[in-house]
Amino acid sequence: MTESIWIHYARPRPHWYGLSEAEQAARRKVWAQVSAASSKAGAAFVGNYHVRGQHDFETVEIWRFPDAEAAFDHWARLTAAAYNEWFAFSNNIGLATEAVP
Amino acid sequence: MTLLTEATDVFSATTAGERCVVLFIAKSQPRLPGAFDAGHLSAIGAVLGELEAEGWLLSLRAMVEPAERTEPTAFDTGFAHDADVVGVFEAPTISAALLGTVRLETAGWSRRFATQWLVGPREFAAVNGAGPVIDRKWGFFALWEWNDAWAAASAETRRDYDAECDVAFQGDLALNVNIAGRHRLDWASSWHHLGVWESDRPETVDAAIRGHERAADFKFTTSRHLLGRRRPLAELLAGAPGETS
Repeated sequence: MTESIWIHYARPRPHWYGLSEAEQAARRKVWAQVSAASSKAGAAFVGNYHVRGQHDFETVEIWRFPDAEAAFDHWARLTAAAYNEWFAFSNNIGLATEAVP
Repeated sequence: MTLLTEATDVFSATTAGERCVVLFIAKSQPRLPGAFDAGHLSAIGAVLGELEAEGWLLSLRAMVEPAERTEPTAFDTGFAHDADVVGVFEAPTISAALLGTVRLETAGWSRRFATQWLVGPREFAAVNGAGPVIDRKWGFFALWEWNDAWAAASAETRRDYDAECDVAFQGDLALNVNIAGRHRLDWASSWHHLGVWESDRPETVDAAIRGHERAADFKFTTSRHLLGRRRPLAELLAGAPGETS
């Protein structure tokens, strides 16, 4: 187990803006359930920050996971819920430097 | 293994469990006196030996044909790209893959190369080309992401697209190209997938990619392609000149 940071940049894809507010909220609710399950499994949500002013993406979201596999699992559940079809993204994984031999 | 899209006629879901690709795209660092010496080269060799003992595959050849253990191998790409060396390993797990990259960097790799390491689990099994036994000295690396048009397309449109691309992949195999399956990178990259081919020469790769263009493969993707000639990794690390023929 090597504690890992997971950094997720995102912006809505164009067809996201064609959804009604209710349709957007319904999808966000499903993805929030994915995040809740990750938190329950030991992940720590650090925060979600607006970066559009200096970046191609709109937001950056940061998580700490117990290990890299947990980060992969979190993302696999989000993509299974079609998150990647509504948001363009770029992800990074990093190992805690104090944990690396 | 979680699949980002369904298996096709050419590609079947892997039974390889958690195995994980380690793609490296490396640029040579300035060779300042003392920055990288025989001691670093030896230390990297020792780490590579440890990784192999831990179940890593250290060449594209071994990823296509695991029974065929070769020396650690990569591809010389500087002639056509802004990266000098590109290659793939396969690690037993995601965590092992990430830790392995740090072990290599710490042993001296980072003194020799500035490297982008991309890591992700195998989705599809390797597929062998059709034809006589040949020496495939060239590696072709395709990174791609699906674009907004793919994301907005219906499931039926995507299935039709996969079927059209499968025709192109059949064409690749008919050109006696080996394909090392497909790996999923999207969890830790902006790229969604990696496909790596073994081919006899660049002209074959070009002919194969023309088939993908005819199939409109790229209407739904943004891709980065890298092509390189196979060389022992030890030679590339040492900065030894390659063959001229």
